[in-house]
Amino acid sequence: MRGKNPCHLHHDELEAVLYVYQKLRKAEGVKGTITSLSSIFPVEEAQKAAKRVQDAIADRQKELEHLHSFISDNINLVNLVQKLPDELFHDVMVPFGKAAFFPGRLVHSNEFLVLLGEGYYAERTCKQTIEILQRRGKFLESQVESLKANLMDLKAEASFFDATAAEAAEGLVEIREDYVEENPAEKMPKSGLSKPDSSEAENVKLVAEDEEYARIMSRLDELEKEELAAQSANEDDDEEAETDFGCSINQESFDDHFKSLELRSQVLQSKVKTPITTATKEPLGGNFLKQDSSDHPPLKVQFEDSKIHYVPKAYNMEKSEAFGKPLSVSKEKIHAASVSTIEGFKDTVIGHPEVTANYKKVSGDTSSLSGSKTSFDSSKAFTGSIIEHAYNSQTKPAEQTVTSSQSTCSRPTKPVSRFKMQKGGR
Amino acid sequence: MDNIRVEKVQKFEEFVDRRLKPDLVRAIVERDKVFEQQKVYSDLKRSIQNLEKNGVTSLRTLVNLGSEVYMQADVLDTQHIFVDIGLGFRVEFTWSEALQFISVKEERLARQIEEYTRLIASIKAQIKLVCEGIRELLQLPAEGSY
Repeated sequence: MRGKNPCHLHHDELEAVLYVYQKLRKAEGVKGTITSLSSIFPVEEAQKAAKRVQDAIADRQKELEHLHSFISDNINLVNLVQKLPDELFHDVMVPFGKAAFFPGRLVHSNEFLVLLGEGYYAERTCKQTIEILQRRGKFLESQVESLKANLMDLKAEASFFDATAAEAAEGLVEIREDYVEENPAEKMPKSGLSKPDSSEAENVKLVAEDEEYARIMSRLDELEKEELAAQSANEDDDEEAETDFGCSINQESFDDHFKSLELRSQVLQSKVKTPITTATKEPLGGNFLKQDSSDHPPLKVQFEDSKIHYVPKAYNMEKSEAFGKPLSVSKEKIHAASVSTIEGFKDTVIGHPEVTANYKKVSGDTSSLSGSKTSFDSSKAFTGSIIEHAYNSQTKPAEQTVTSSQSTCSRPTKPVSRFKMQKGGR
Repeated sequence: MDNIRVEKVQKFEEFVDRRLKPDLVRAIVERDKVFEQQKVYSDLKRSIQNLEKNGVTSLRTLVNLGSEVYMQADVLDTQHIFVDIGLGFRVEFTWSEALQFISVKEERLARQIEEYTRLIASIKAQIKLVCEGIRELLQLPAEGSY
């Protein structure tokens, strides 16, 4: 009762903290559950459990006392047995039933009949009897030890229950979050599915994402550099550049958002057949085309610029894919295309403070560009931006993860390309 | 009205659980003790009669020293027997005197047992009565006779 007032204050504070926590976790996209301890372990239940354990402790204590009395009896008996053979006989009252005695005497003072158990008796001398009794004593001691250990356990349990009851009364809460394995290959389909549907509305709201996008941009810069390096290198280096690209992508948070970027450019998805994108193909194709982007003309223009440049290349790429095996000639072009598209994206992003909004617009733009499905060309043109994705898909997500860090150290040529890139600047 | 009834039911139940049932248990325990004594004395009576019949003048028995360790003991004179007469007193009897005492003692024990039995029956009756009262208060249909 007297603790009630402070308790209430405590609750209010706690609720505020929990509210903030929930907001934060939501922003991070982590799903967690918050349950108050008292809902799992009601205070009364915990107290009841504690009481039960206390009862068990009392029982054990009684047992222990019993054992101790046995031990003392045993010690007395050993002393008695030791003394008996000192005399030839002892005058005693011989019990006759429970309520009567005869005056008599103990004879054969070195002969004892000892119960071995199960109704078997053995005739033993004094010394042998003492040995038996000492063994019994040892057994009793071990029993006492185990009982004491048991008692300790029960006491610990009781203290735990008491603590739980106290905590439940205080209003402690338990926060539980699912552990998400940090596997990019696994994440891809997830993010791909969730982003086109729900994320757009959410993204705009969440300020925290701004930071993320800033990070993405820096990552894109790096990528760009690498692309440039790859370009400058000869045909053989191309492949290494690819792996390099994969490696940089591998980093998780970036990867996620990069994927989302790519997804926004929906045409890519519809064109390129990769395991990652197949799942997202439908919603993208359907939804985005229908979205009207009439409200953002300036951005549209910007994007169109970047896109228009690369139409032919994209087309190229597409053809190469369509014809099956990649053409070595077209590879360079693909690179160029991907780099340029990245630049285009970056431009749009930098141009507007609200990055998230930007992306939304971009996606809208693409739909507007592609029109009402009539111009397949436009979609292809957009493939320019997608090319990057196609490129990415060539390396395959699984490989990315595997080769990511290894490629950097194992391949000697790669650092060279990086140096070049740095020297070349931008 | 309802509150009063609930309170009364609660009071009755408490009375049954806290007073009558412990009383009953205690009475039963006491009676069991008396039964045990009765058995002890009847055993003693049979043993003495046995000794008389066989004309035993001396006997050798095993004495329990504790923890099931036995030692042989000789009784040289069986004519004199010390019998526990209660309250920690033991009286030296001859066999016939002992048998006389045992019959008196048994009679008394039987009376005690009867007393306890009556007490137990009355406690049981009280419990039944209170339970019936509770039933009436709750206006439940009468239970089948048993």
